[in-house]
This record gives sequence, structure tokens and C-alpha cells, in this order.
Amino acid sequence: MTGIRLENVTKRFKTTVAVDDVSLQIPDGEFLVILGASGSGKSTILRLIAGLEVQTSGHVYIGDMLVDDYEPRDRNIAMVFQSYALYPHLTVYNNIAFGLKVRRVEKGEIDRRVKSTAQLLGIDDTLDRRPSELSGGQRQRVALARAIVRDPEAFLLDEPLSNLDAKIRSSARVELKRLHQQLKQTFVFVTHDQSEAMTLGDRLAIVHHGKLLQCDTPEQVLSRPANRYVASFVGSPEMVFLEGNVASTGSGFSFVSGPVVIPIRGESRVGPVTIGLRPWDVAVGRTPQPGSLPGRVTGVERLGPSDHLFVDVHGAGGPPTPTAAVRALVRAYEYDIGDSVWVAFDPDRALFFDAQGERLDSMSVLPRRS
Amino acid sequence: MKTRRARKWVRLGKRVVSHLVLILACAFALFPIYFIVITSFSTLPIASITAQVLIPKLSQFSTASYHAILFSQSPSFTSLLWNSTIFAGSSAAIGLLLAAFTGFALSKFNFPGRRTFVYFILLISLFPSFVLILPFYLEFAKLGLIDSYLGLIIPYSAGAVVFSGILVKNYMDSIPDDIEEAALVDGLGRTGAFFRVLLPLCYPILGLAAFLAFVGPYSDYALAHVFLTSSDKWTLALGLYNVASTDSGASNYGLVTAFAIVMSLPIVAFYMAFQRYIIGGLTLGAVRG
Repeated sequence: MTGIRLENVTKRFKTTVAVDDVSLQIPDGEFLVILGASGSGKSTILRLIAGLEVQTSGHVYIGDMLVDDYEPRDRNIAMVFQSYALYPHLTVYNNIAFGLKVRRVEKGEIDRRVKSTAQLLGIDDTLDRRPSELSGGQRQRVALARAIVRDPEAFLLDEPLSNLDAKIRSSARVELKRLHQQLKQTFVFVTHDQSEAMTLGDRLAIVHHGKLLQCDTPEQVLSRPANRYVASFVGSPEMVFLEGNVASTGSGFSFVSGPVVIPIRGESRVGPVTIGLRPWDVAVGRTPQPGSLPGRVTGVERLGPSDHLFVDVHGAGGPPTPTAAVRALVRAYEYDIGDSVWVAFDPDRALFFDAQGERLDSMSVLPRRS
Repeated sequence: MKTRRARKWVRLGKRVVSHLVLILACAFALFPIYFIVITSFSTLPIASITAQVLIPKLSQFSTASYHAILFSQSPSFTSLLWNSTIFAGSSAAIGLLLAAFTGFALSKFNFPGRRTFVYFILLISLFPSFVLILPFYLEFAKLGLIDSYLGLIIPYSAGAVVFSGILVKNYMDSIPDDIEEAALVDGLGRTGAFFRVLLPLCYPILGLAAFLAFVGPYSDYALAHVFLTSSDKWTLALGLYNVASTDSGASNYGLVTAFAIVMSLPIVAFYMAFQRYIIGGLTLGAVRG
């Protein structure tokens, strides 16, 4: 059992709260991604696990052991830094061997492990070189090798891919995932890149202002975000939000946002509500469909395989009635700026958020009867 | 066509002028050394700089001054050299070790009053050391440290700590914290990380600091003159003064200049030995390219 557990961990730096009452359970062998914008406290969480920072309150467990008073060296974890932090005065071989030498591992054993790890990562031909003679991708592998060779309880990775070229980054991502499956050990990976998080993580922990907002599988985070921040932070292109109000309309209640009127069911709180839609759940067509609204394309972002369309939706009366800005993901090169289109929403996929940004589970779109 | 030729002349003119300036500057810098060298090998008694003096003749060439300096001096040249080496070497060693710790603490540890402490050290280093001679003398006289090796090594190494401590601190500031933290995670304590990772990375600056910490005491006259009374503890600087102030030396510049040249040789050798450490860029490539 070498999972990691944080219990109500808070870290204060003078006046700022970097980590705010975070509780987190990472089971053995999981690949957990801590996702957050810069300054969200995600790296601090990692450093608290490593023991490079000491929490102001709360407890950290590695395995079943309470490690609050343990120095980093006694926690038996390995860390890969964003800058790689290789020892510049040592060769690649000695960089990888360093942790083993420090722990007085027998010489032949060191040699065997360094060589097999270097082989695993494909850097066995660079062992005599210094870090300054390596490419970015090679340095990143040396940093990984230095972590792997020690056979630690868990791996902590602080944005290890962010300094790589975009081209190498995606292959490094695949390789990292493969490595995790091979080693079957606990990985805690910090990143601000949501697509990196989605592809790598068994689960994502989304952090904002030091608070843990949600910790769930990528699918769940995407389809059932805990609040509006998570909804907008995860998913690309970003979620479409329609600010509006719930109003009673004769037989029941409807969500009203400019020209968009959507009948809803569930808890009928009247007041400001926001609807969130993934751009790929917004359908665009040339001809009207049941429930669709007319609109005009105001912008196109060519993403390659598909286009990100910016559409101003207006009521049946056409402009100058109030409009609502939505976005949709459509097939590439179908539409251009100025095109008149019809927009429809997939009602089952719409998410509701209250004025504080929390998701309203009780509300959903009333299925249309056609 | 005309303009191209004109441009060529302008370029040539610029080169001639810049070379002339550099040659002049070079001559200005090298002249004293040249003068000392030819004087030390000359038999002529020199009262003023004349053409006769500046262009040496082979008939006036002599190594008599060197002979006199090295073999018929009291105290002997070897004794002076030995003392200087002891004073400068041990002061540099002690000063450097303490400076490394000081720099480490000031750069990588967070403690209250750290900034104040750094400014305080900078302030101390601005004091002219002559100001300290009298209080040092009175204090050390009470402790019985006058005319002893320790009595000079203490102030010398203290001076080295003040100066080199700041040098090491500034250099260590440029080493990313990540590297020390990587060593901590890899299984070292802070002391271990200091000796096995940070210190080796500081070799370039330690080379420079060692050189400066050695040259200071080696060429010091003021403090040594006050503190050392018995001639068997005299340093080279005191020996040089002794030569210059005795009857034979006052009229014989050959002796004085020969002494100065021999005295400076160890420093030149020392500089050459440490020159390769005084190359930066050892930390390059540690972090992202």
C-alpha cells in the first residue's frame, strides 16, 4: 500500500493561503493529475507531499505512514522538476546514479540499475555526457531516469513536459503514460495544460486559489464539472455559457437568455442561472430544425480537423431583437463569417449553474416533444 | 566606384587609429613592469629614467641583485617566503571555508534579519582596514597574540570571509533552488546537498575567492608591520621594505626590483593554476536550455 493521503492540509506563506484545507486520497498505482492555473497552489501541494514545504496544518500520509515530520530524503519519493534540475557538474550516468550512491547501494547494483533505466528511456548512449550537452527531450528523460532508478514509493512530477517543444511533448506524453502502465506506481503529475491532464490522468484534481474544487475521472470532470470554474477550465474549446434567468412561463418554468428560451424541469428557483454547453454539443445547420434558433456567424477559428464557430443567435424576429453569443465545433470549412445559420442545443448535455457558480443537479432541460 | 574606395580608406583609417590607441594603452600598462625587469638585471645605479637606462646594454647585464636577494639576506628569502605562504595560505583556506558556509547560509536559508545581515557585511567591507589596526593591536596585545602566526591569520581570514562571503552568496543566488531540492529528494540532508552539489558548482567563484584571499595577506604590509616584531616571522612584504630601507637598498634599485619580481612569481603561478576555475558557465545546462 503506497498511496498518498492529504488530510485537511493548509499551507500559508505569510499572508497568502497557498493551499486551503485540501483533502485528497491517491490510491496506490494511480496516475493523478493536479490541474490548475499558475498560482493556484498546485505545485505547493506537490512540494508538501515531497516534504520540500511543511504544511501549516493538516496531515500528509505516504502509504500508511504519517510523514509530517519526515525530511524529503526519508519520504522515499522521487520528483521530476519543471526545470529538470539535473546536476550540471555530473555526467548523465552520475546524475542517474546519484540517489543510489547517496543511499550507499552496492556499486555493481548501481551500475546494473543505471544502465537498465537508461535503456528503458533510450538514453544509454548519452551516459558519458554532461547535462549541458543534451537536448531538452534528453534532459527530461535523464530527470525521469533519475527518479525511476531509485524505485521510489511514488513519483511527483512538476510540469515535466512544459519545457519541451510541442512536437516532442505529445510523444513524451504517450511515453509517460506507457511508463506508468509498466511501473504500476503512484504518479502525481502537476500541470496547467488541460489537454495534458485529460490524456494522462486516471483522475484529475482541479485546484483554484488553493482550494480543491473537484477530483474525478476526466470523463466525469468534463461531463459533470463541480462548478463553473471547472467547467470553463477543462475542455477545449472552452464551454459556452449563457447567462439568464429562470422565469415561470404558464405551465412551468423556462430558462430565458435573450432570444434563447428553454423549458426546464426540476427545482424551480426563479432567479439568475447560467447554462453551460460544450461547443461540440451545439449543433449548427443551414436549415431550421425543431427548436433551433436563427443566427449569424461572426467568427471562425480554423483548428484543422474542425472549425470553432462564433455565432450570434437572435430571436425569431431577427435583429434587432436581443442576441446571445454561442460557439460551436463543426466540420472544417463548412461555414464562413456572415453565414446565416440555425443553431440547436443538445438538451441532455446542458449544465446549470447557480449565481455562485455551483452546478445545479436538480435542474435539467425539459425534453422536447416533437 | 569612388565612394567604395573612400569607404575602404575610412575603414583602414579607423583600424590604424584603434591600433594606435591600443598600443599606447598597452605600453602605458607594461612600462612599469619593463622598467622593473631591466633595472633588476642592471648594474647601473639608477637615479633617474634616461635613455641610457631604458635601453639596456648586454655589458651591463648582471644577476648579482638576484643572487644577493636569494642568498645573502637576513632574514633569509626562504624564511620570508615560508612565512608569507603560511600566513596567506592558512588565511585563504580558513577564510574560504567560512566564506562558503556564509554564502550558503545567506543565499539558501531563510532566517529573520538575513537582508540586514547582508547589508551589514557590505558595510563592513567598505571600512578601510587601516582603521582597524589600532583596535586590533590593543585587543590582540591583551590576548597575547602579537608577534604570533595566529594573531595575523585571524584578521586576514576574517577579511577574506567578509569579502568572499558576499561573492559566494551572489554566485549561489544564481544556482536554481531546484538543484538543491533535487538533492534533498534524492536522499541528502542540507549539509550533504551543500558539500556534494552546491559546493562543486561554486568552484569557479571559489577559485577567484581563493586567489583574492591569498593575494591580500601575501602582499599586506601595514598589518604585518604592526603585528610582527621578531624578524624570524617577517613576511616578504616586510622583507622588501627592509631591503628598500637599508643603506644598500636605498641606493641600489636593482636589489629592490629583483626582490619585487621574485616575490610576485608565486602570485603569477597561483593565478595561472586557478585561471581555469575562473571560467563561468559551469551551471549552464543544468536547467532548461
